[in-house]
Amino acid sequence: MKDPDPDAELLARIGKNEPQAVNEMVSRKLPRLLALAGRLLGDAEEARDVAQESFLKIWKHAANWRSGHARFDTWLHRVVLNLCYDRMRQRKEQPLADDAALLDVIDGSPAPDEPLHAEAQSAQMAAALASLPDRQREAIVLQYYQELSNIEAAALMDISVEALESLLSRARRNLRNHLAESERAASGNVVPRRGKS
Amino acid sequence: MTPERFIHLADAYGADLAHWPAVEREDARTLLAQRNPQALAALQQAQWLDNRLDTHRAPLADPLLMRQIVASAYATEPPSSFWRRYADWLSRLGFVGVGLAGIAAGMLVASMSLPLSAAPDWLPSVFDHGEAELMLGIDSEEGEQ
Repeated sequence: MKDPDPDAELLARIGKNEPQAVNEMVSRKLPRLLALAGRLLGDAEEARDVAQESFLKIWKHAANWRSGHARFDTWLHRVVLNLCYDRMRQRKEQPLADDAALLDVIDGSPAPDEPLHAEAQSAQMAAALASLPDRQREAIVLQYYQELSNIEAAALMDISVEALESLLSRARRNLRNHLAESERAASGNVVPRRGKS
Repeated sequence: MTPERFIHLADAYGADLAHWPAVEREDARTLLAQRNPQALAALQQAQWLDNRLDTHRAPLADPLLMRQIVASAYATEPPSSFWRRYADWLSRLGFVGVGLAGIAAGMLVASMSLPLSAAPDWLPSVFDHGEAELMLGIDSEEGEQ
């Protein structure tokens, strides 16, 4: 690793029990963790639980953190991913109300002749993300929303960059299809297709 | 860069070249500058999805959650280091050692304070009778000398 870890100094201060450093770490990382967990799980409450559990791990490891193998932010993504995997596994073992709740959100979208409000657009996008297979959703969340490099995202997912690109392409195609379907159903708008200007 | 390669990358990484692999960006810009129709169409399609992706709102970090997380920092004990655990272990061992030494000293004092001839067979003593007689014998020989 050539570049210094941008979080190393903050971690050292947390290790010295500086209250300001604790606040700074929460401000710096909480929105990012919530976004990652929220988009992977599609559930804000569960995302908050995951964020709290992740921070407990930060506090435990801050004093003894050694920059070496991985950047702190990458390690943190791994922590959140593992916590999300656990929850997704539990859901598969107990499949029930989540899909129904999602359909309620979709059904609550505006009537066909109304423009989609920001909240409805967000809900529609959430439904599209939720419709993706887990690995495709993970790929698009890490690469697009978390803005990780292709190498970082592939490493976190334990796959090659080529496999990541394949997942991303399929994810984007599925999202386009899902959104186009729901837009056609809602307003009959035409989605731009390749080859047309 | 071929138009096919551009389409492949736009399909994977979206319309913002900042999200593309760094080594591909310059070639992609060149192709766009040439107004390649396939590249432009791929970019337009990718931009449509990017715009939709941007509408998604992530959960907000509300002040209550932030306070709870900050408070959790002070309720969490950091894991002890190896040397600290080692010191703790030695300290516990020291306590046990002192306790055992005390018991042994007590037994020694108790056994020595009892008259040897009156010591019942079941009472533990650091000296058995044979050794006592030997020592008494030595004392008497020294006295004669």
